[in-house]
Amino acid sequence: MIAAPVPEWAASKSLSDGIAIYVHIPFCPSKCGYCDFNSYGVSKDGSPGLEENLVARTVQATVADLEQSPFAGVPAKTIFFGGGTPTSLEVDDLTKILETLLKVHPPIEGAEITSEANPGTADASKFSAMRKAGFNRISLGAQSFSSTDLVRLGRIHGADQISAAVECARKAGFDNLNLDLMFGLPHQNLQGWKENLEQALALKPEHLSLYCLTIEPRTAFKRLYDSGKLHLPSDGVQVQMYDAAREFAEQNGYKQYEISNYAKSGYECKHNLEYWMANPYAGYGPGAVGCLPTTAGPCRTTRLLHPRRYCEAIESGGNPCAELEFLTDETVFMERIMLGLRLNQGISMQLLPPSQSVRNGVDRLLERGWATLQNNQLSLTRLGQDFCSEATLLLV
Amino acid sequence: MDQSHIRNFCIIAHIDHGKSTLADRLIEKCGAVRGSAQAQMLDTMDIERERGITIKMTAVRLNYKAKDGETYELNLIDTPGHVDFTYEVSRSLAACEGALLVVDASQGVEAQTIANASMAMNQNLEIIPVINKIDLPHADIARAKEEIEQAVAIDASDAIPCSAKNGIGIEDILEAVVHRIPAPAGNPNGPLRALIFDSHFDTYQGAVAYVRVKDGSVKPGDKIMMMSTKSKFDVDQVGVFRPQLEVGNMICTGSTGFLTAAMKTIGDAGVGDTVTLADNPAVDPLPGYRAAKPMVFCGLFPSDGEQYEDLRDAIERLKLNDGALSFEPETSAALGFGFRCGFLGLLHMDIARERLEREFGLDLILTAPSVDYIVHRTNGPIEHISNPAEFPNPHEVDLIEEPTVYSTIIVPNEFIGTVMNLCHERRGVYIRTEHPTPQRAILFYKLPLGEILLDFFDRLKSGTRGYASFDYELSDPMASDLVKVDILLNGDPVDALSFIVHRSFAYNRGRAMVEQLKKVVPRQQYEVRVQAAIGAKVIAADSIKPYRKNVIAKCYGGDITRKRKLLEKQKEGKKRMKQIGSVELPQEAFLSVLKVAE
Repeated sequence: MIAAPVPEWAASKSLSDGIAIYVHIPFCPSKCGYCDFNSYGVSKDGSPGLEENLVARTVQATVADLEQSPFAGVPAKTIFFGGGTPTSLEVDDLTKILETLLKVHPPIEGAEITSEANPGTADASKFSAMRKAGFNRISLGAQSFSSTDLVRLGRIHGADQISAAVECARKAGFDNLNLDLMFGLPHQNLQGWKENLEQALALKPEHLSLYCLTIEPRTAFKRLYDSGKLHLPSDGVQVQMYDAAREFAEQNGYKQYEISNYAKSGYECKHNLEYWMANPYAGYGPGAVGCLPTTAGPCRTTRLLHPRRYCEAIESGGNPCAELEFLTDETVFMERIMLGLRLNQGISMQLLPPSQSVRNGVDRLLERGWATLQNNQLSLTRLGQDFCSEATLLLV
Repeated sequence: MDQSHIRNFCIIAHIDHGKSTLADRLIEKCGAVRGSAQAQMLDTMDIERERGITIKMTAVRLNYKAKDGETYELNLIDTPGHVDFTYEVSRSLAACEGALLVVDASQGVEAQTIANASMAMNQNLEIIPVINKIDLPHADIARAKEEIEQAVAIDASDAIPCSAKNGIGIEDILEAVVHRIPAPAGNPNGPLRALIFDSHFDTYQGAVAYVRVKDGSVKPGDKIMMMSTKSKFDVDQVGVFRPQLEVGNMICTGSTGFLTAAMKTIGDAGVGDTVTLADNPAVDPLPGYRAAKPMVFCGLFPSDGEQYEDLRDAIERLKLNDGALSFEPETSAALGFGFRCGFLGLLHMDIARERLEREFGLDLILTAPSVDYIVHRTNGPIEHISNPAEFPNPHEVDLIEEPTVYSTIIVPNEFIGTVMNLCHERRGVYIRTEHPTPQRAILFYKLPLGEILLDFFDRLKSGTRGYASFDYELSDPMASDLVKVDILLNGDPVDALSFIVHRSFAYNRGRAMVEQLKKVVPRQQYEVRVQAAIGAKVIAADSIKPYRKNVIAKCYGGDITRKRKLLEKQKEGKKRMKQIGSVELPQEAFLSVLKVAE
């Protein structure tokens, strides 16, 4: 058992302004082939390897996790329910966790409260109950409007369920809605991607997350990829898809503010901005990650990943953390650069130490046309965005 | 102990035929228990360290009470087990009067058996064949004896069957050591002559020399002189291992032991050198001394140019306890400042690289190993060149000679064809075949040393399902039609990638080198053209397509640590990359030439 670090929030002014709160719901109707998140398939016909009452236990444990939080009382600046699929829970369970959270972390005025949702796991009544409970933003995992894509990805929903879900959410009163879409999918071509974008636009979301599919270790896709059975578009085509996404978004009134994220003015995801600006955040639920100041410096904690282990720890009054990582100055710096360069606003030059190697790095970025320097802000150009790892490495 | 009761012997065997197990049993039988003794030694290590001697069990003294009722002093001398250290083996043998030739009863004679036995015969040692592992189900004592007689040409009729593992035959072996190996000759009243057969370096005591006293004796306080260098030292300590360290009063005629004398580098106690007394020197040194002669050369460069001075310090310190290492500064247009280092062989090179990286915390770029060529220039002078980058242009060369080895390869008959093909592919000159038994053949080939560096051993093993055994000794250089192949990246030659090859292989290996570079050089932001050329003539070309983007995965709270660690790993990887012009090359690129003979 790992001893919990002593929180230092009382002394820290930044925490009294509120922090981002993340809740992880580790259950999905089924596991998608590309997904490496901490999630477990729970279908109506039974759940291989999971006991029947585990979902209910996990809801209880998450509530208890919140109630015993050493950071209780710190206001919530933003709240985000992610997964897994939060909407795979019964709506009462979902709202119960939110109610507890709002007591433990009183939200600041106008706090953004998001839940991820899957088309196919939410209907009008669920959305409506969620809206009433306090959620004010929905992030819909659409991924693609092509049914062949959706089947290949292992999604449970069909293309028509996306628009149905959007309609339900709108009716329930959600006026802040994100669609997740992926490009670079197996067998996808540029035209197919553009059609997806058109269909997404027709639904008039306030926010678009447009990701390139990445092949993550320990996923079904990785195994297919390694055995040569996954036919992905070349990186040249992926770049064209990215260009198309940017162009399309800009033409239709969405502004890119992060490397994969676009929003109508004022609808940027405040919760995710907290991560990208390297601000503190708390995490509850199996596998949830938090990063908060302690007397021993900033500490990133990861809750026990498997819901059963997590429940056992909480029920026995133990510490639900599987891992603590105390961040050194060096890692904090590296993360600030890594995350900051993802944002279109870039990073302040004041963040960079005045060393020769950093100065050389900045010069290289400018020479290569990967970055621009304006008002003391260093930000990546369109070309630089394609090489954001390389760009980060030039500075750290 | 009087001279007639001393026996100096060693155990020679092919790898895995049971040499160390047999040594353990002999030590046990003589009352010293090696297992617990080692534990004891570990206990005493710290004390010994403070006193300044680290222990290397290179020679162990045993007292054996024989069946004739007499007690004998047996000195068991260890021999290194790798072909890189053949010269060191020959010096260890020179310290003995006899050798136990251990042959595995189920495996029979192997290449190292023959190589070691013939070295022992050259030293006129009494050879006692021992057939080990007779307890194994596939043991065939008669066949093993037949192979020994055929392949090694010694009488195996009184070979001793034993099982070191089960303690069978150990006493018979000890009796044979006493009665068949002659007592050391040598004049106790003559001026001191002691052969250094091994040495190691101790931080506190300096070089520790393991000696076999041939004439006279040596004791603490003696002023000694090394006959090859004429350098003089005062003896601090003498002693033996039993196997625990035991400091003694003297090492007398015919016996072995170690001595320390505040020698500052391992080179002061050169293996093969003769120790004598400074004020009563012997007239002639013992035969066979030669300075360590590097056979394989490569460039060593710091990945980070700023570590050049650190690398120099590290190599100098390594040289203190590695007498066979040679080095001189080298400047490469591609890699900057570094050192051209010489080694006894590939294993020796690997050991040195690993120690430099591990013990001194350096990130190194190694260039492909090369051999020492003798280049006759058209305008007269003859030079030794081991660095392909320094090779003159083809029209300036009259003749090139390359080093060769005389190699012994033992295989079951069914693989004779495979081995002959491999040897011919590597420009081997066939000498002869022998059949120690009807089922097995010994192939003798003269092979260019440079060809052996190119994964010859791996190919030999895989081509014979592991059955082939291989050994070699240096032979005379031979004239060959060799050319330098240059590698160009985006049109610029990279000196550190040049290699020397026989003209008839130039096209294929140039092609293979380009292919290999395409495999190991990561895609860059720009297209990289890779060409192989002889002089101005391009013989192979290809290009590495640029990459268009990094992997840009989503990054939220739970992804940050993992993303950062990926970046940290890439950063670490970049440290090992060398920027050549606009191209970044990984370490493997510089060793690509080792893969071109496939």
